[in-house]
Amino acid sequence: MGRTERNIAAIDALYRQHGAALLLFASAISRDRGRAQDAVHQVFLKAIENGSVSRAINKKAYLFACVRNAVHNEAKIQDRTMPLGVETPWFSPPDRDYTGERNLRRALGQLPNDQREVIVLHVWGELTFSEIGALLGLSSNTAASRYRYALAKLRGSMLAKENSCANAR
Amino acid sequence: MQTPDDEQFEAHLKRFDPIAPDPLPTRNLARRSLRPPSLVTWLAAVAAVLVIGSTILHIRSGRTFISDTSSNAALADRPVPSEPLTVRSANAWLTTAPSFETALDDLAFRSQISPLPQGKQSAVAVLGKESFNL
Repeated sequence: MGRTERNIAAIDALYRQHGAALLLFASAISRDRGRAQDAVHQVFLKAIENGSVSRAINKKAYLFACVRNAVHNEAKIQDRTMPLGVETPWFSPPDRDYTGERNLRRALGQLPNDQREVIVLHVWGELTFSEIGALLGLSSNTAASRYRYALAKLRGSMLAKENSCANAR
Repeated sequence: MQTPDDEQFEAHLKRFDPIAPDPLPTRNLARRSLRPPSLVTWLAAVAAVLVIGSTILHIRSGRTFISDTSSNAALADRPVPSEPLTVRSANAWLTTAPSFETALDDLAFRSQISPLPQGKQSAVAVLGKESFNL
């Protein structure tokens, strides 16, 4: 197997392993599923081209940073006031709980960008607070406290939505 | 510090799997780009074998043709220029030859007719002895 083939195989494995979390992260910060998909593809295509991922020590954190940069670079060109596109599903719900999936999406959409970012990075990206801190230019303590605050808000928002649905029935 | 409630809620959130992205557009391209070299190599190899084979066949048939022509008999009778080939001698040879084709054949094979110094071998003669299996 040649060097290029090995590189493609390694990138492909990373894409299969982290692609879903990266897409969710890109969706959460770009406010648009299509742009998120483009950003993720762009990052992986560049990685195949220049082999930069293979040189990264923490490949997962590096990929999240690349996706974040790609989304922000794209956002500079595009309209930044675009509303969060939460109508396309972001998750495959457990036990066909489509209402729960929609509630989660909407609750995430109600969070401020910086809090949503931390939630996605920690829960689905499985990054540690020090990795998140390095990625966002924060201390790990700040990242952790932002996460706890966001988590409490998300829970409150989801519970309120579930209760209102139960009352409506 | 995370409370047990936080951990429970986190576990609940993790039950929702993020949807996988569409396949990378290069995945097909990469596979396609890996295949052609081998296919192209095979085609090139086959083409090369065919070209070499047809060239050898052509040369062999040409030799047979030359040996079969009556001009070959005439060649034995006609004086062959023994001095080094010059434009002048080639012109002279052309004027005396029965046809242009015969003249060219004669000139081409004159090296076989011209005696070589002792201990030396003609490369054409050595190659002529080689047998090619097609």
